[in-house]
Amino acid sequence: MENDVMRTAVKSLSEFYAKAKRMPSYSEMLGLFGVRSKNAVFKRVDTMVKKGYFHKDEKGRLSPGRLFKPLKMLGIVTAGFPSPAEEELVDTMSLDEYLISNPEATYLLKVDGDSMLDAGIQPGDLVLVQRNLTPKSGDIVVAQVDNEWTLKFFQKRGRDVYLKAGNKKYPAIMPKNELIIGGVVIANVRKYR
Amino acid sequence: MSENTDRNMIMLASYPRAIVHIDGDAFFASCEQAQDPSLKGRPVVTGKERGIISSASYEAKALGIKRGVSLYDAKKICPALVVLPSDYETYSIYSERMFNIIRRFTPDVEEFSIDEAFCDITGLRRIYRASYPAIAENIKRDIQKELGITVSAGISLSKTLAKICSRFKKPDGFTALPGHRLHEFLVNIPLEMVCGFGPNTVSLLTKYGVKNVFDYTKKPAAFAEKMLGKIGSELWRELRGEAVYGICTEKKEKYLSISKSRTFTPPTGNKAYVKAELLRNVESACMKLRRHFLSAGRLAIYLRTKDFKHSGIEAKLNRHTSSTLDFAAVSATLFESVFDARLFYRASGIVFTDILQEGVDSRTLFDDPVKIEKTAKISRTVDEINNLYGKYAVHIAAADPAIKRKENTYARNDLARRKTALLKGETFRKRLNIPLVKLK
Repeated sequence: MENDVMRTAVKSLSEFYAKAKRMPSYSEMLGLFGVRSKNAVFKRVDTMVKKGYFHKDEKGRLSPGRLFKPLKMLGIVTAGFPSPAEEELVDTMSLDEYLISNPEATYLLKVDGDSMLDAGIQPGDLVLVQRNLTPKSGDIVVAQVDNEWTLKFFQKRGRDVYLKAGNKKYPAIMPKNELIIGGVVIANVRKYR
Repeated sequence: MSENTDRNMIMLASYPRAIVHIDGDAFFASCEQAQDPSLKGRPVVTGKERGIISSASYEAKALGIKRGVSLYDAKKICPALVVLPSDYETYSIYSERMFNIIRRFTPDVEEFSIDEAFCDITGLRRIYRASYPAIAENIKRDIQKELGITVSAGISLSKTLAKICSRFKKPDGFTALPGHRLHEFLVNIPLEMVCGFGPNTVSLLTKYGVKNVFDYTKKPAAFAEKMLGKIGSELWRELRGEAVYGICTEKKEKYLSISKSRTFTPPTGNKAYVKAELLRNVESACMKLRRHFLSAGRLAIYLRTKDFKHSGIEAKLNRHTSSTLDFAAVSATLFESVFDARLFYRASGIVFTDILQEGVDSRTLFDDPVKIEKTAKISRTVDEINNLYGKYAVHIAAADPAIKRKENTYARNDLARRKTALLKGETFRKRLNIPLVKLK
């Protein structure tokens, strides 16, 4: 609760700073924080100063601190162009984020057997399996057929569902009873060294 | 029950507050079954490495095999029992995932224990366009779908009531208790079901004619206060539907105690060896203290004899520390007063209590600050070396026989599968933070 208040306060201050390029006065902060007393403003400011969001000088004036979002400076234009590297404000993602969209439902499975060889999945590969997805035709799934778990293509033809191996050696499997899907393969990881 | 008419109603409202309690069903055993589907439907227990069951699947429970039973007895009951070593690394991954799923619904989540969570969903009906019980059921459904384990959930007006609900139907249970049904429901709830009522409290209340939870709520507030003090009156209010206890959203990272113990077979009367085992535990516990940037002010050591009797002793240090050398010296002295040359021992252990964040200085006037700084530096250096070359690469000389034993008779069967079947690039000390499913 307390943190939420702080977060919105810091956010509104940084927005003000980004627009006006100066810190607001205490009376301007009344409006920013949506409070009526300057004492409330003062208390909030004090906490934020303690947390390092900004500094306060002897006269009580505020300046942005280390946790404050800096103003974006696109290089100093002397006689040429701003550095393209600094203009490129892109976000990056980790390999984890790239491969996994739902970390809570994702599991590892070490591949055993050659039934998905033609799909590029070799024995010893590490596949990432997501549990809470509904398989679409053509997805690779972990499925239980006749009490055995296997890795196969999930195929739909009309209303019929069957499993196809990624290897001509193996015939397609028409589940006789119930088909249990353990998860859908979302990525394959092969580490060479 | 006809005797309990509307006249006895405790509350008219349904959910002035909506508190949910989620409790894993046989959590450790369920995680094992989720990781290895061939174990589903079979009696599975964990705790192989310590000889005592720490978690039993519902299939095992049905045979009378419970937590705390020795493996020897359990195997006698069911020779086909699947006994697995504990894999806390995997259990904590599942636990963390469970909390994260709940956090998708609400930020007010309390990690009550590794497999239990409280959360507050008050006010969320509007954004989910669903009733409180329906939201709670969605949380339960998502956990089960994504983790492949079952949990039991309870929803009511306070933590105490929610916990009673989640225990009411297990496994895979769901119980919703709105305020206007309290009087009907609590009549059938025995006092033992209340978290906070121990056997003594129950006996005391029974003497005053309180037979069930409903009776307790119908006593005057002064009765609860007089009989059971502050806790008693807090529980009285909680059971009447007032949320007295808040949801504590801070992550539980405060260690109240840190302990290490290890069994050695066969039992021995060799003094140097038993001491070595104890010092090995001291060394290991100190590393854990430092790894979590903590220091301890009290320690207790204990030895377990061949016939499972314990003897132990506790000591208070004059300042907090995390240095192996400090604790080794004290432990060696304590050991002398506990060890009895006529007995055979089978296990030793150490428990640190009075735990503080490291850096809290509790030096006295008479301590030698230079020496303290030096021993701390030795510990830090040893940690650095051991991080590079493996645990115990450098260790106390007196612990040597115990550490050597580990190398000689390594009980590989007692290690979790995840630690033995390493993936390419993984090491014994560091593995991927994603559970590895086993299909064969």
